[in-house]
Amino acid sequence: MRRLVTARLSAVVFCLAAAASGCSSMGVEPWERDVLAKEEMQLTTDPVEAGIDDHIYFSKEASSGGRGFGGGGCGCN
Amino acid sequence: MSKQNSRSIAASLATAACSLLGTSTVAPVQAQEEPGWDFNTALLYYGESDGRVQDFSLNVLANRAFVDDRILSLGLTVDSLTGATPSGALPFDGPQTFTRPSGKAVYTTSANEIPLDDSFLDTRVALTAGWAQPFARLYTFNAGLSASKEYDYVHIGGNAGLSRDFNKRNTTLSLGLAYAQDSLNPEGGTPVPLSPMLDVGDLSNRMGDQDKDVVDVVLGLTQVVNRNLLFQFNYSLSQSSGYLNDPFKFLSLVDPVSGDPVSHTPAPGISGPSHEYRFESRPDERTKHSVYGQAKYYMSGKVLDLSYRYMTDDWEIDSHTLDARYRWPLGDRRYLEPHVRWYTQTAADFYRISLVDGAAPLEFASADYRLGEFDAITVGMKYGWKTRSDNEMSVRLEYYMQDGTAPSDQIIGNQAGRDLYPDLDAIIAQFSYRF
Amino acid sequence: MDMTRLRRPGASAFAALLLIALVFMPGAGRAGESALNLDAYRGQVVLLDFWASWCVPCRRSFPWMNQMQQKYGGQGLVIIGVNMDASSSDAESFLQDYPAQFTIVSDPDGALARQFEVEAMPSSYLIGRDGVIASRHLGFQVRLADEYEATIREVLLSQKE
Repeated sequence: MRRLVTARLSAVVFCLAAAASGCSSMGVEPWERDVLAKEEMQLTTDPVEAGIDDHIYFSKEASSGGRGFGGGGCGCN
Repeated sequence: MSKQNSRSIAASLATAACSLLGTSTVAPVQAQEEPGWDFNTALLYYGESDGRVQDFSLNVLANRAFVDDRILSLGLTVDSLTGATPSGALPFDGPQTFTRPSGKAVYTTSANEIPLDDSFLDTRVALTAGWAQPFARLYTFNAGLSASKEYDYVHIGGNAGLSRDFNKRNTTLSLGLAYAQDSLNPEGGTPVPLSPMLDVGDLSNRMGDQDKDVVDVVLGLTQVVNRNLLFQFNYSLSQSSGYLNDPFKFLSLVDPVSGDPVSHTPAPGISGPSHEYRFESRPDERTKHSVYGQAKYYMSGKVLDLSYRYMTDDWEIDSHTLDARYRWPLGDRRYLEPHVRWYTQTAADFYRISLVDGAAPLEFASADYRLGEFDAITVGMKYGWKTRSDNEMSVRLEYYMQDGTAPSDQIIGNQAGRDLYPDLDAIIAQFSYRF
Repeated sequence: MDMTRLRRPGASAFAALLLIALVFMPGAGRAGESALNLDAYRGQVVLLDFWASWCVPCRRSFPWMNQMQQKYGGQGLVIIGVNMDASSSDAESFLQDYPAQFTIVSDPDGALARQFEVEAMPSSYLIGRDGVIASRHLGFQVRLADEYEATIREVLLSQKE
């Protein structure tokens, strides 16, 4: 009985830790990332084209960059 | 199963810093397939109307995947630039003659035409190399180098980044840093800021090579919202210091009443400028802050990519960029992707359409249209298809237009009614092949 | 609440595994069907691998799992690949390129994945002959293949009938 209580408490502690890292109520399960794994759903679908555009707009305007990296995708491994 | 293209690496600041000279950007790491090479190539034509800049470029990005999600990324860009660009001088009722930046010859602009400097004949080569790999399961590390060379300009840079996943990889936090050092060595040397344009052969107001360095930091948050929706939010800080002027840009010195350029008589027997011009002067520091948000939304096969960026800096330039792309698949193997981009910026606080003869001297002044107030729009269409061997090809055609406004409080006398802001019209055409 | 006890990593890990194992005791567990009755495999060691057609590391894990099935099948190892694809045609395409010499079941609604609290793709659970989870690994890394194999051997030997 005490083991069961400890087990449940452990689970609660784990969940709180997850919630503490923020945005934990949003998202999908790891096996629900089929759409996110698609090439057209990546944040930068074509890095060469993004680089070309960045260079054009950097040369003709006063702003540049802004894009980031990391995240999305299949979330594998 | 169709061949899956490998994704290229997140050399994050390749986007922010290396975009300075257009080295290819790289995208977030995706788990990779069988080790092998993956190529993403593009041929680009960029052409402005009215005899202005034309650029042809070849871009190649090669990725090699190694086991366990480690990726090497190598990029090469070769650009060939020709054509003319507005020098910053104002048009007026008569012809104007200017000394070339090299100091060796003159060129003339006809009456009522925006003066263009056509000394732009250059080939640029840029290289990038990057590496990305995971470590400790939820962390990904990336690092990269970039370098580019053109006739009078050299760039070298490095970047590194780290990202960490949370909440079963629904949330990703990333941090990227980049450092770039550029040096400029134009023919004839760099002109002393606000010094006059001199006659042919007179290089007494020239300085030697100039450097600038740029540090960029990006903080990012990526969040999976649901099966079909992904958000990214970034904050970037960019700090440039050193020689930030454009050595080829100058301003007309005008009469305080008529607004016409003040005449100049070259020394006897020598060619030189027909009027008084002063080389521009910009601060030697610039700090930019940007916030960027992007959403990708999947709607039964179609993908909407929407992004917004706000930039503000200590030159008093504020800009907004809104970009929308809609990928519309046509069956399994083809797609259409219309694209619209809106952009608007305010002028730098030292942006001047001309310098007034006899007025109190300014510390900084530039008539470079790229620091002025303008709106821009890009509309385009991309068509992509899979070849028989499951490689990808695409073509895109875009039209880019800038429409600027000269500050009304700076318009003097005869300047009203003249075309004071060099609007821009350009075609972008690209053919891309991924294999 | 005895917080000091919770901080011992060993205790927490055991508690988590016990929680998961409790779900599989007859009578315990949540509502929701799974297409798999693990009780039928009691007495054998089961390697339960959750995979999907869009999961790239899964392409590297399949040849390895085929090898493991062949090598240790005689000692009582049963590999079961649980496919998470919503559409079975995607799974079939994958299996044409990366054939499986082990049992494949499907779990398109994710009920089994939820029971096992899958938190990475792919995930593998090594279930001992007594029906208790002996080990799990998150993701599949080629450089750790030998370690995975060593764990399999250990469980097969330590629980020999």
